[in-house]
Amino acid sequence: MPRTLAVEIVTPERIVYTNEVEFVVVPTFDGEMGVLPLHAPLVGVLKPGEVRVKYGDTTDWFAVSGGYIQVHEDKVIILADNAVSASQIDVEEARRTKERAQERLKEIGHAGDEVDGLALDLDWAEAQLRVGGSHAQV
Amino acid sequence: MPNLRDIRQRISNVQSTRQITRTMEMVATAKIRKAQSRIESARPYALSMMEVLGNVARFVRDAKHPLLEEHEKHERVVIVTVVSDRGLCGAFNSNILRMAEGLMREEAAQGAESDIIAFGKKAIGYFRYRGIEPMASYRDVSDKPSIEEARSIATRVIEAYSAGEIDGVKMVFNRFKNAAEHIAEIHDLLPIKHTVVEDETDAMQLNPEYVFEPSADAVLEHLLPTYVETLVYRALLESAASEQGARRSAMKSATDNASEMITSLTRTFNRARQGAITNEIAEIVGGAASLEDE
Repeated sequence: MPRTLAVEIVTPERIVYTNEVEFVVVPTFDGEMGVLPLHAPLVGVLKPGEVRVKYGDTTDWFAVSGGYIQVHEDKVIILADNAVSASQIDVEEARRTKERAQERLKEIGHAGDEVDGLALDLDWAEAQLRVGGSHAQV
Repeated sequence: MPNLRDIRQRISNVQSTRQITRTMEMVATAKIRKAQSRIESARPYALSMMEVLGNVARFVRDAKHPLLEEHEKHERVVIVTVVSDRGLCGAFNSNILRMAEGLMREEAAQGAESDIIAFGKKAIGYFRYRGIEPMASYRDVSDKPSIEEARSIATRVIEAYSAGEIDGVKMVFNRFKNAAEHIAEIHDLLPIKHTVVEDETDAMQLNPEYVFEPSADAVLEHLLPTYVETLVYRALLESAASEQGARRSAMKSATDNASEMITSLTRTFNRARQGAITNEIAEIVGGAASLEDE
C-alpha cells in the first residue's frame, strides 16, 4: 500500500469530495501544482480551473471557481468558493453563462466592479466547460 | 345569557385557527431540521478556513491590510440587521430591530452616522417606516440564505470599508442555540480584530515551516474577505434556523392558547345549554301546574 493523501474538497455549502488518493493537481495563479504524499506544509491561493485527483488507475476531475489549498501532514484541504465534479457539470448551462458574460462584457467595454464580477463568472464557466467537456464520462 | 348559536360559532372559529397554528408549528418543526443541517454542512468549510487563516496569520505577524486597519475617524458605520421575511415568530424580529436601533443611538452618541443593511422584509419595513432608507436590502431569502447573499453583503461592506467611506461594520442577528432558544447578538465584522486572527493562531499547534503560494501576504489578502463572507454566511444560516425555532415556539403557544379557549368556550356553551333546558323545564312545570289548578 503506497502512502496516500487524505483529500477533502469543501465549499461553504457542503463537502464535495473526500478520498484517500495518491496525487492531487490544483490550479494556482502561477500554473498547475501537483501534490504528492510527504509534501511540505503549504497554503496557496487557487484560481478558477481544474482539480485532478489520482488513485490507482482512476482520475477524478473537478472544476473549482477559485479558493485555497492547505497541505499539512498528508492532508489536503481544498477550500473552493464553488466546486463540481466533472460528471455533475451542466455543460449547456456553463456555455450559456459564458456567452452571457461575454456579451455583457462587450456591452460595457470598460473596467469596473461589474467587469470584475463578470470576469470571475467567465473564468468559472470556462473552467466548467474545460472539465465538463472532456471528462464528463468519468 | 349568551346566545347558544354565537358560542357555537366562536368555538368553530377558534378551532379552525388552532388547525392553522398547529400546521404552522409542524411546518416550522420540519424546517428547523433542514436549517440545522445547513448549518452543519457549512461547518467544515468554516473550520478549515479558520485553520488556514490561523496558519497564515502566524507568518504575517504585523500584517498590513485595509480590513485589519482601524480607521482614525469614526464617522460612519454600517449595521447589518438580519431578520426574517415573515412574521408570526414571536419576538424574533423585534428583539433584533430594537437592538439595531439602540446601536444606532449609541453610534450617534459617539458622533457617528449609521447606515443599515436590511436582510429580511421585516427589517426593510421597520426602517422605512421610521424614515431610514437601507443602503442595501435583501428580501425573500431569509428562510434559505445562500452563500451568494453573504458574498454580496460582504463585498459591499469590504469595498466601502477599504475605500474609507465607512469606519466600522456591525452585524445584529439571532444566534441559534437550540430549537427552543436563540440569542440576539451583536457581532463586530469590520475592522477585523487582530486578536481574532491571533486567537485562532494560539489554538493551533505550532506547525513547521509553511510554504505559501504565491506569498503569505497574498494569501492573507485573499483570505480576509473570504473570512468576512464566512462570518456573514454563518450569521444568515443561524438566523434562518432561529427563525424557524422562534416560529415553532410562537405557534405552539398559539395552539395551546386556542385549546384553552376552546375548553372554556365549551364550558360556557354547556352552561348556557343547561340553563336553557332548566328554563324550559321550569316553564313546562309551571304550565302543568297552572293546568292542574283548573
